[in-house]
Amino acid sequence: MKGYILKRLLSLIPVLFVVAVVVFLIIHITPGDPASVMLGPEASPREVAELREELGLNLPLYQQFTSWLAGVVQGDFGWSIFMNEPVLQSFFSHLGPTLSLAIFAQLLAVVLAIPFGVIAAKRRGTIIDQTFMGGSLIGISVPSFLLGLLLILLFAVQLRWLPVAGYKPLDAGFFLHIRYLILPAIALGAMQAALIARMTRSSMLDILNANYIKTARSKGLKEKIIIYKHALRNAFIPILTVIGQTFGTLVAGAAVVETVFNIPGIGQLIVNSVERRDFAVIQGTILLVAISYVLINLVVDLLYGVIDPRVRLNRK
Amino acid sequence: MKKISLLCLMLLLSFTLMACSAEESGTDDKGGEAAVGGELQVAYNAQPPTLDPLLTTAVATRDVMRHVYETLVTVNQKFEVKPMLAKSYEVSEDGKIITFELRDGIKFHNGEEMLPEDVVASMNRWKESTTLGKSYFADAVFSSSGEKTVVLEMKQPLSTALAMLADPGQAAIITPKEINEAATEQGITEYIGTGPYKFVEWKTDQYVHLEKFSDYQSLDSESSGLAGKKEGFVDDIYFQFVTDASTRLSGIQTGEYDIANAIPFDNAEQLEANEDVVNHIDHNGFNGLVFNKKAGFFADVIARQAVNAALDEEEILMASFTNENFYELEHGLMIKDQVEWYSEAGKDQYNQNDPEKAKQLLEEAGYNGEEIVILASRDYEDHYNAAVVVQQQLEKIGMKTKLDVYDWATVLQRRADEKAYDIFVTGFPTEPIPAKYVFLDSANQWPGWTNSPEMDQLLDQINTASSQEEAQEYFAQLQEEFYNYLPMIKFGNKTTITSTRSNIEGMGFLQGVTLWNVQKK
Repeated sequence: MKGYILKRLLSLIPVLFVVAVVVFLIIHITPGDPASVMLGPEASPREVAELREELGLNLPLYQQFTSWLAGVVQGDFGWSIFMNEPVLQSFFSHLGPTLSLAIFAQLLAVVLAIPFGVIAAKRRGTIIDQTFMGGSLIGISVPSFLLGLLLILLFAVQLRWLPVAGYKPLDAGFFLHIRYLILPAIALGAMQAALIARMTRSSMLDILNANYIKTARSKGLKEKIIIYKHALRNAFIPILTVIGQTFGTLVAGAAVVETVFNIPGIGQLIVNSVERRDFAVIQGTILLVAISYVLINLVVDLLYGVIDPRVRLNRK
Repeated sequence: MKKISLLCLMLLLSFTLMACSAEESGTDDKGGEAAVGGELQVAYNAQPPTLDPLLTTAVATRDVMRHVYETLVTVNQKFEVKPMLAKSYEVSEDGKIITFELRDGIKFHNGEEMLPEDVVASMNRWKESTTLGKSYFADAVFSSSGEKTVVLEMKQPLSTALAMLADPGQAAIITPKEINEAATEQGITEYIGTGPYKFVEWKTDQYVHLEKFSDYQSLDSESSGLAGKKEGFVDDIYFQFVTDASTRLSGIQTGEYDIANAIPFDNAEQLEANEDVVNHIDHNGFNGLVFNKKAGFFADVIARQAVNAALDEEEILMASFTNENFYELEHGLMIKDQVEWYSEAGKDQYNQNDPEKAKQLLEEAGYNGEEIVILASRDYEDHYNAAVVVQQQLEKIGMKTKLDVYDWATVLQRRADEKAYDIFVTGFPTEPIPAKYVFLDSANQWPGWTNSPEMDQLLDQINTASSQEEAQEYFAQLQEEFYNYLPMIKFGNKTTITSTRSNIEGMGFLQGVTLWNVQKK
């Protein structure tokens, strides 16, 4: 097991190297530089040139890349020009809101999607099944920013049940914290819920036709036990894969949702940093997000073993 | 079943743990709901790149920090120079020496009294780091004399010196000496001023929190612009940085925010229908197109005149601002309120809308169908809308054009490349003196690259004029020459909409909002 984890962790290195190179190149090939953004639109070209020199932006690209990479290897992800602090610090100070949002969105998605998926599978072909699956199609197709704006319009502007935007940290109180996260979490989690529901349904359908389910039925087990103990558990591996993958994409979706709802998370950090060309922050944050994405996938793989003993046996 | 519940428990546990770590890295309490305790939630549309006003010309920095910092002299609503931290000032006969008498008992936010040394240190940093300071005060000397006096000595007389010291952009802020001495290239790190609000906290990408300064010494004179009486009524001000316009819009409708700036012009009517919200429309500089005068077709002045003859400014302004209440057809570089400057010169050249004349001039300039690149950013919808109409109008007189649309940071870089474009669309704030308009002075080498000895000479004459009347006379000539040389074309004056909740009273506006004197009823 340890060897397996180690191997997986080592295989991260080439992936992250490629990410680092690509991110670095994209950012530096894109026009726009932090010096002119920082000094404002009426700054003279001389001042911009001076600041560029100070910030080391006039060095050759390969030199900027190697010095950045050398830092990263030692755990130094660079220095944010705009926030005047290490990139790692910016990253962690923005991580809380994104994590809260992603977890809440994922919880909402799982809690809604699995029962819906199971019910749809059980009542396959009925109007309930069709309604759920139709709904999930909408969930997949509607972009999160549109859903977010519609939710704001209905629940915040018209009904005034929930705040329009903003973020309250957990230490401002749990319920206040959640209140501000409900709408963004729905906007962000809708697509996840739809994907998970569809996967649950199809996976359950396969299982429900298996012989051991027929056996269970014929020996008179209660339907509830059949569904939740025998069927769902065996159907869970593909569902878990989807959950793991979607958790990763939540971070990407957060960039949009956080902007609409003005939540100071990683997504907004990336968007703002791109706008002001804070190179070190963009590079560092994307690299850190890539690392967490790969690690989440690793955790999901390990969870297979928890759910399905056969996976564990195979690995020995 | 047992294992599943174990799994659930583990998941729950790990979520709780993650939530806890989220708490650690999260933000501080913003102090509860907006309605309680006299706090002002301001939804502001842009992030300040830094909080040191000397480092940047960005308006977000200027608008937030004007509540914290003050200057020796400042401007009132008509952009006239008025004393602030100086009790009085005196200009010597030859115009080379200005003596400032400081006010008594002015306290910094750290409790220390403001001394002449602090002023000298602040002014020295200002002259070394700002555009105005470097251009006009490089060999000027600030020195303290006695208990309450600061003297500015210049090599040449400069009639606009006081106006420059009063300029709200990159303002000559007064901060304690030790803070100026500790400043690096990244600017100052402690934000201590003398203003009616003191700096508490800056959560990058979230908000700047200001708190009422209880020891603030207000002037008693009438409040106008940045001058006169400033009273802090609300205890706390939060500048929430809300870059998404629709979020600012919904937030002001629900009362999440007390004030929201830069309301999109399209949405003004929607807010007017809401009786809890009041729209404030304020003059806010102008938009225009800047020619690349260094390379390409518009290096030829006749070519620039052709474009000027072609443009229908009304159509451009309507596309940008959607409603005639939000713009004003106006040729003058200095606004009518600036009575000491305003001039009718050049009015006949403005808004000609004469395609036939344009075509003739185009022929005269030898236009042979080359593609004209117009640079604009959709980050500012009014810039982009104007660019689209300009493009149509130029096509109408037979020019081949291409609209290059980028994000703002890219425009800032591309416009500095003489080979990348022919025209870029941008905006300018109302400036207190002509010299501040960056496109007038060749020495600035500002994108577009003005190169006009005539205008340079007139700027010099304005700066060395012995009286304001004389300066105004030279300015009239400068504006005439501006319309002849055409470094850029002014579309017309623009406004900005700031919306407040109806219980907010006393908000002022000069280039940006002023929140002293604001009461939350």
